[in-house]
Amino acid sequence: MSNLDQCPSSKGKEEIPTKAPEMGRLSGRAYWRSLDEYSGTPEFKEFVEREFPVDASVMSEPSRRSFVKIMGAGLALAGAATVPGCRRPDRKIIPYAKNQPEVVPGKPLYFTTAMPLPGGGCEGLLIETHTGRPTKVEGNPLHPGNQGKSSAMAQASILGLYDPERLKHPVYNNPARGKIVGTWDDFDMWAGEHFAQFDANNGLGLAFIIDKQSSPTRERMIAAVRNRFPRARFVFWNPAESRAAIDGSALAFGSAQDINYDFTGAQCVVSVGSCFTDETAGGVKNSRTFLSTRRVLDGGDPMSRLYAVEAKPTGIGSIADHRFRVAPSQMHNFTMALAYAVSGLTGTSAAGLSNATVEGISQHDIDEIAKDLVAHRGHAVVVPGDQIGAEAWAMCMAINNALGAMGSMVKTSAMSESLASNGAVDLAALTGAMNNGLIDTLVTIGCNPVYDAPASINFADAFAKVPNTITFDQGISETEHLSTWSLNGTHYLEQWGDVVDIDGTYSVIQPMIAPLYDPARSDIEFLSMLAGQSGMHGLDLVKQTWSGMGNSGDKAWDRTLHNGFVNANAGNSASVRSGAIFNAASAAGARPAPGQESMDVLFYTSNFNHGQLANNGWLQESPEFGTSVVWDNPIIVSPLTAKKLGLLPEHSWQDEYNPYTKQQMPQAQRVTITLDGHEMEAALWILPGMADNTVAIKLGYGREMVGKVGFKVGHNTYKIKPATGSLATRGAKIKKASGTYTIASTQNHWSMESRTSIVRAMDKYWWDKYADKNVEFKDEIYGRDYEDLNIAEKLGELSHSPPIISIYDNPQNESKRDPDPAKRTYDYQLNDEVPPRFAQGPQWGMSIDLNACMGCNACTIACQSENNIPIVGKNEVAKGREMTWIRMDRYFVGDDLNNPDEIFVQPVACVHCENAPCETVCPVNATVHGDEGTNDMAYNRCIGTRYCANNCPYKVRRFNFFDYAPVKFNGGLNPQYTSKDIAQEFEETIGQDRTFNQNFIPPRLRKKLDEISKMHMNPDVTVRSRGVMEKCTYCIQRIHQARQEVKIRGLWEDRDQVGPIPDGFFQVACQQACPSDAISFGDILDPNARVSKERESGRSYLLLGYLGTRPRTTYMMRVRNPNEAIRHREHDPLDHGGHGDDSHGGGHGDDHGGGHDDHSTESHGDQHTSTYIDRTKRFMDQGYSMSLKVLSGVHA
Amino acid sequence: MKPIFPKWMNALPTLLFFVVNGGVVCVIAGFWYYATPKFWEVGYMPTQPGSGFNHQIHAGKLGMDCRYCHTNVEDSWHANVPAVETCMNCHVENRLSTELSSATDDKVQFIRDAYNEGVGIEWRNIHVVPDYANFPHNAHVNAGVSCYSCHGQIQGMPVVAQAESLSMGWCLDCHRNPEENLVPKDKVTDLYWVENHWFNKHGEDGNLVPLSPEERAHNGIDPQALVDTLKRNPPEHCAACHY
Repeated sequence: MSNLDQCPSSKGKEEIPTKAPEMGRLSGRAYWRSLDEYSGTPEFKEFVEREFPVDASVMSEPSRRSFVKIMGAGLALAGAATVPGCRRPDRKIIPYAKNQPEVVPGKPLYFTTAMPLPGGGCEGLLIETHTGRPTKVEGNPLHPGNQGKSSAMAQASILGLYDPERLKHPVYNNPARGKIVGTWDDFDMWAGEHFAQFDANNGLGLAFIIDKQSSPTRERMIAAVRNRFPRARFVFWNPAESRAAIDGSALAFGSAQDINYDFTGAQCVVSVGSCFTDETAGGVKNSRTFLSTRRVLDGGDPMSRLYAVEAKPTGIGSIADHRFRVAPSQMHNFTMALAYAVSGLTGTSAAGLSNATVEGISQHDIDEIAKDLVAHRGHAVVVPGDQIGAEAWAMCMAINNALGAMGSMVKTSAMSESLASNGAVDLAALTGAMNNGLIDTLVTIGCNPVYDAPASINFADAFAKVPNTITFDQGISETEHLSTWSLNGTHYLEQWGDVVDIDGTYSVIQPMIAPLYDPARSDIEFLSMLAGQSGMHGLDLVKQTWSGMGNSGDKAWDRTLHNGFVNANAGNSASVRSGAIFNAASAAGARPAPGQESMDVLFYTSNFNHGQLANNGWLQESPEFGTSVVWDNPIIVSPLTAKKLGLLPEHSWQDEYNPYTKQQMPQAQRVTITLDGHEMEAALWILPGMADNTVAIKLGYGREMVGKVGFKVGHNTYKIKPATGSLATRGAKIKKASGTYTIASTQNHWSMESRTSIVRAMDKYWWDKYADKNVEFKDEIYGRDYEDLNIAEKLGELSHSPPIISIYDNPQNESKRDPDPAKRTYDYQLNDEVPPRFAQGPQWGMSIDLNACMGCNACTIACQSENNIPIVGKNEVAKGREMTWIRMDRYFVGDDLNNPDEIFVQPVACVHCENAPCETVCPVNATVHGDEGTNDMAYNRCIGTRYCANNCPYKVRRFNFFDYAPVKFNGGLNPQYTSKDIAQEFEETIGQDRTFNQNFIPPRLRKKLDEISKMHMNPDVTVRSRGVMEKCTYCIQRIHQARQEVKIRGLWEDRDQVGPIPDGFFQVACQQACPSDAISFGDILDPNARVSKERESGRSYLLLGYLGTRPRTTYMMRVRNPNEAIRHREHDPLDHGGHGDDSHGGGHGDDHGGGHDDHSTESHGDQHTSTYIDRTKRFMDQGYSMSLKVLSGVHA
Repeated sequence: MKPIFPKWMNALPTLLFFVVNGGVVCVIAGFWYYATPKFWEVGYMPTQPGSGFNHQIHAGKLGMDCRYCHTNVEDSWHANVPAVETCMNCHVENRLSTELSSATDDKVQFIRDAYNEGVGIEWRNIHVVPDYANFPHNAHVNAGVSCYSCHGQIQGMPVVAQAESLSMGWCLDCHRNPEENLVPKDKVTDLYWVENHWFNKHGEDGNLVPLSPEERAHNGIDPQALVDTLKRNPPEHCAACHY
């Protein structure tokens, strides 16, 4: 952890540095992860030199008392461990009373279901259950949208099921006696009488606020309720809904439509502020289809081109070939200019449309983009985002129409009336009625308007004026807290239901487990009760809907449940009303660029959509793209804007710097943001790559009535969200407030000590030219000559390091890839020698494609779920103690701090070195090598010296400083509080009238496991305790299961030999989740395995391969496909600084470092300078250069 | 002058030498012997609920196959303990013999009670491998490791007791020398045959005489051939069991 992740200085206010540091340079470009690294602050340097950040090894509250407490606990545990040695603990085996034919203890069962997404759409899922207990979420391989993949949100939803702080029973707020525990029978009696009175007046005075979901049964139930109460008001509410998509599609097609993209075969894609692969409906499918167009294995393979026009760095921006920083208001101008240019090229009419200037993109570039789009007509598509205006959104559809994308790449399906309704307008109207006393009874279902209604309509006050309020929800919420009745709803894994995806696929939600807090009702059961059909079971309601769709028969029903869905309708394309669109657009006119006094604002949600999942620790602790901030939502501006507005932090340390006594926390400047007269205080994060004069605000934080995890995490930014419901607006002003605010960000954590060539990239031109050369030497990665290296390795240090041959006779070196030819005999069977260690059997390896990774974190959370990885909380993350095995590194590239040339994301987990540095330093042999090439951890042997982590060049080892795993750790603690303070506050504000788990004590002292929250644990993986090192195991439990499965099958069939595990027989958790299929895993000795093919591609390189660690995880370098009319292609990456083979003096590319000619319109680095050592020089000073590289990690 | 120390003190260094060293040896020897799973674990014989389950009668005298109750032992990591319903297949009424007295019948009343109430019986777990070690039954049973190797002569136990230490060294002994412990696959659950005709033979005086793997080969099956069908030797690396 750096003291100051985002701030350029640590002592006083300083200017932003103008030049990137020399370290971390590759091929003349600077790679940096944070402003700290960019400016090379002393704190950052100290940070990278330490394996664990300063605070990582100090006690949280070092005092004599806490020491005695810990020791006391230790002694008690020691006692507990030894004394029962005399009397063995009584362990029970409790089998079923009645046989469950399909349940085999120890073998999971898989059932399909679907997760409804807020705002419509779903993910088709396959749930792993162990003896009736769901433990892991996977994508449904049959589902047309997911096809076996799943998003981070779906992966994390399993934790939401086992949230111990869900509503457990109905609560009645008795006006006289306060809150009392009720039952559903009580409510039925009360509701029976209460709702009967509305039968007489047709529901006048009755209002419903229901969250937006695309469920046909739900629609049917709502219609039934409407039928019973025709005069009742209905509001469909999604606080973070995209008005652009709804209003824009209404403008474009005449009625609101869901858009379903299919990028298969795409050649040119323009994203206008859209991260179309994120966790909105269709995101998983978009990831899969789009990234399939960018996977090149050989030179000349086709590859799509992506232009990203965006305000805040997103995953799409990171993989884009051209990324333009454009404020939301200017995206409107951009679509106008693009539509104008495209219509000029295609000859389609754009009557009334005039050109517009765009701040951030030159006219030349817009023309080139239009030319490119038109040139790839039929394979080109423009994807509008959520933070643009409706006209701009509709114009994108008009462009798609002109490009012939409608119907093929862009399909539409009609949006239901409830999804299309404008919740913000309806809610404002309802609030007025509530204030006027027109509403007697208000029912909210699955939403939390007291928290997330815009502040301007003052919903909470109006809510208090309603005599009877009924809230139906899963968890504690602000709305529920103020309600007359709080009713506990079921999680989607506990209920029958159904949902329609945006492509029209009808999926059935089937329960995986009986409601944990029984009795509970699902939303459709609750609505059917309100409709007067009491006692209807969810299954019957869903089956009615299913039958109503023309299905019948038990067999068809079974097939529906087995597949998880009914086949989709083909999807159609509504006709685009280009004329109306351009009329509206020209009426709207071009928009002025934002300024410092009137900044553009974009609201976005990430990970836990609009705040409903705030109590989900996995999502809270998954680093946001770009900022890598966890457990918080600082507002984001660009470095230049921060500097111009004078918002650089006053000081970076909580207190005067003394690493041994004070905690180091990254400090963000507190600011006041004003928007439409609403003011709120927030923390400010400075993020390179943001559009200037634009502020990005994340929604869904600052919950005050929620479980312990989400309690008071971040700021509630709904307070300044405009009442129009739009996600983009303008006119914000930011003022510096006094003080700083502690932020936990993982961006500088686990730095690979500034070693270089960690991420690599190349323009497609050079890739096509060089890809196929020298591939025949692929097998001899180690110790080969420069000419033998594949193209990706030539970009790194291996190209100018001497052959790496150990002077010791290392037994691990014996493999078919051994540098010593004498040991390389693969035909060991010919002689009677012991076969080389890694030459037989499955040898596991992984390949990660940087062309396909967008940093969505699905792998991180899938790994967390599969391997029982705990969360640690904000305080601990700030100390660098996060436990996730896969970290998502993010690098900015280039010399311009404000406008980085490129953004890279790279997931790094243990790379399973064949010559693992960790193994040689473990004093107790706790980390050793397996026969199949995995680097294994024997947890029970580990004594926690952490030598291994110190010696790991990849920094992938994680240490359990406390007993994180057994407890559901409260991570939301503000570091300003001690855990005791916040526990007290929590109990006083929320906990008083509920039966919460009262054991709110520091986790290390907590002995009793929370029964509910440990139920999500994977029974196949050990739960680690305090003091144990852990890291990626290559999901060895899955490997073992697969091997045993294959072996047993072979043994039963009495084959002579047990065959190998076929490629694709199993998947590791990250690979299985990855929506863009960037990860492959398998046996690297199997030449037909996908992983072997990828390893043999010219794009594969070894991360830090020059250290001689021989990692089993290889990375595939990124290939960019830039439009050379917009930026010149890079200098020949293999032409070393223009020296060629001449033996120039020096020859070190540092001479050219920083050379950055700006003769293109963009500031992209067109001059590709090189830092390679001259090759002739290399042979002369190889020892010297090696030692420099190894010792300092900097290019010699 | 009277000496400061009495004369017997001359023997003190020698005495101390023996006492201290002897003490150290005793402590080490004590740990060596007592602080092992072999001492603490073997023979663990908890009282089972109700009247327990008599393996000697069911598996031994009645000759029921292990897999009648432990149905999943070939499929799953867990050798499941059967549901009460399995017991009820026979014990739903006194079907076995009219000669069984009502007193005997009463012994299984707890089974019927549990079944009627729909609650599982809380059997005591005897063979425990720690949570950080993973033991797959299916892999072992299918490879030809007899129940006998780990659980002892269950068919002769009225009350089941732990027969082996289940320590890591004990596991590795077998993993390093699989030929000494594998049996023909169709004999995996035939514990009497395994004990009396495979691992041992009856000597002239009626006592069991252990057979070496080479001697076993005379039974018509070569123990080495059993190992060869596995293709690869049992794993010995840490992550084979610990992860």
